[in-house]
Amino acid sequence: MVSQKVTIINPMGMHMRPAQLFVNEMSAFPCEVTLHADGREANGKSILHLMAACLKKGTEVEVRCDGAQEKEALEKAVELISSGLGEA
Amino acid sequence: MVVRGIAASDGIGIGKAVCIREETYTFSDAQFAGKEKEKERLEEGIASFTEETKKLAEKIRKSSGEKEADILLGHITMLHDPFMLSQMQENIETGRCAENAVDAVCTMYADMFAAVEDELMRQRAADVRDIKARLLAILSGKAPIDLSRLPKDSVLVAKELTPSMTVELQTENVSAILTEQGGKTSHSAILARGLELPAVLGVAGITETVKEGEGLIVDGTEGMAILSPDTKTTAQYRKKQEKAREEKKQLSVYRDRPTKDADGQRYEVFANIGSPKEAEQAVQNGAEGIGLFRTEFLFMDRSSLPSEEEQYDAYAEVARYMKGKKVVIRTLDVGGDKEIPYLSMGKEENPFLGYRAIRYCLSHKEQFRVQLRAILRAGAIHGNLCIMLPFITSVEEIREAKALLEVCKKELRNEGKAFDEKISVGIMTETPASVLLAELLAKEADFFSIGTNDLTQYILAADRGNPKVEYLYDECHPAVLRGIQKVIEAAKKAGIPVAMCGAAAAEAKLIPLFLAWGLEEFSVTPSDILPTRKRISSWRKSDAKAAEKEAMGLSTGAGIAGYLTGVLKNRE
Repeated sequence: MVSQKVTIINPMGMHMRPAQLFVNEMSAFPCEVTLHADGREANGKSILHLMAACLKKGTEVEVRCDGAQEKEALEKAVELISSGLGEA
Repeated sequence: MVVRGIAASDGIGIGKAVCIREETYTFSDAQFAGKEKEKERLEEGIASFTEETKKLAEKIRKSSGEKEADILLGHITMLHDPFMLSQMQENIETGRCAENAVDAVCTMYADMFAAVEDELMRQRAADVRDIKARLLAILSGKAPIDLSRLPKDSVLVAKELTPSMTVELQTENVSAILTEQGGKTSHSAILARGLELPAVLGVAGITETVKEGEGLIVDGTEGMAILSPDTKTTAQYRKKQEKAREEKKQLSVYRDRPTKDADGQRYEVFANIGSPKEAEQAVQNGAEGIGLFRTEFLFMDRSSLPSEEEQYDAYAEVARYMKGKKVVIRTLDVGGDKEIPYLSMGKEENPFLGYRAIRYCLSHKEQFRVQLRAILRAGAIHGNLCIMLPFITSVEEIREAKALLEVCKKELRNEGKAFDEKISVGIMTETPASVLLAELLAKEADFFSIGTNDLTQYILAADRGNPKVEYLYDECHPAVLRGIQKVIEAAKKAGIPVAMCGAAAAEAKLIPLFLAWGLEEFSVTPSDILPTRKRISSWRKSDAKAAEKEAMGLSTGAGIAGYLTGVLKNRE
């Protein structure tokens, strides 16, 4: 398993459009992707779970990837979140 | 059979009924066809949902924009969520049919979203419910009617005409609208008039009475409809329709003329619009400006707030389209009968006396700022935009809004962004308090615009959308007319412009009163521009004053209406 912390910077947080982008990109990787923040855990391939976790702007999340292509997946996830999920 | 309702949008429409019924899905009788079969049905259902949604998103991308389309595409991602799918499949494993599985899982997710702390995220519950309803419709084989592909000469019969319906509606194939809900000034009515389609609203039970494909005549001027008319009646109405078309043609000479009364005094006839698209219609109908640009459309039929850029684009589009002509933008008028789900304003006992319009905006300054900044910036293009604050009841509200506007200006200055430094800020006078305070408000506001629809309902304490008290709603009521007169006089005394943007501005019989009081700007639905200009042109000030004196001497609404109708008849 690999993991890295990253802060959500897009103004509206992980709402529908950013979550959609994240899930679409992450689904391309075979490994498990989970986001952890404030004791909450959300599956990175589930738009419903991501949105329900209410990850707002300024929240520091830990992205964990576990399984095949975990390094590539983590790199992509961090890049997406730190670049504002298509919104910043 | 003849049914009566509220005459909401003029004209005669003849055609065949297309009924939009609210489906209630009962699938208790749906047979469980075996695990494999049900899973297959679910997969097929999801596949057609995906295909339909993609098509719908493309259509909306063209008509409304990128972000609205993305929201629909988000529905696809949500439905393809691995958890959602596997839970539906597990449900089927336990012996439930596909419909039950969809219902159970979607309801669970909708409830989950409804319970989260984040206000915007709570709105996702509505998206999940939307997915559920559409997927269930597909599974039960009751595909919803495609409003963009109606047969020619369709008469739309529905509970209510909703804004999302109008986005899809292929107007050239629709000849009229018939609904169960809505009064003369309801949103259904405003939308129908905007589309220039004859409409009769408030016909109880009509979606049950009318058979699909049944012949219908809708008379939106008289407020009645004929079901299965015989050939003789149809012929009569075709003649009437032809005559109305002829009159319309005659009106076209007024298109490129300035508005003047018979003495040659200048007036202005503006248009009320609800989207940038309607500005075009306004100009085609000879509008001398936009007297009311409602901004709710930017906030409706979506799941999150529009950004400053999105709002800027919409305001800039109209500012450019109207070039040097004035455009009055009303800030968000939410609440009352206008609900925007994701704002989570909560249910109220008395929404019309509750949390609406300026009240909501001043308590959500972060959101209000976004709108004010967008208007200020779009104002820089041609310097033709004005800001109008709705639902004002006190001097403090104007001061507070203007203070916020100054903050926005300072921000924009610091950011080096262009904006209209001298933008004028007026108010909509539509509450009894604003009438009683008109002299004081005139010192704070740059202009008044009389919103007669709300003003009438508040002065008469009669809900304009409630068919039971619709009879009390009367613009000719002496209390309403005195209120209007007082506002106009206060504005003239203070030397600020005064306009009228409610339905009364297009009411033929009231025009002499308004002219006598000195109203100079009439803002009406695009289709009412030319008739209003024609009516104004027929009056001499002295005649208008004489009619006003007589009318205002009467003590009942019926008396005033009767007298003024008689005056019009005699002049014909």
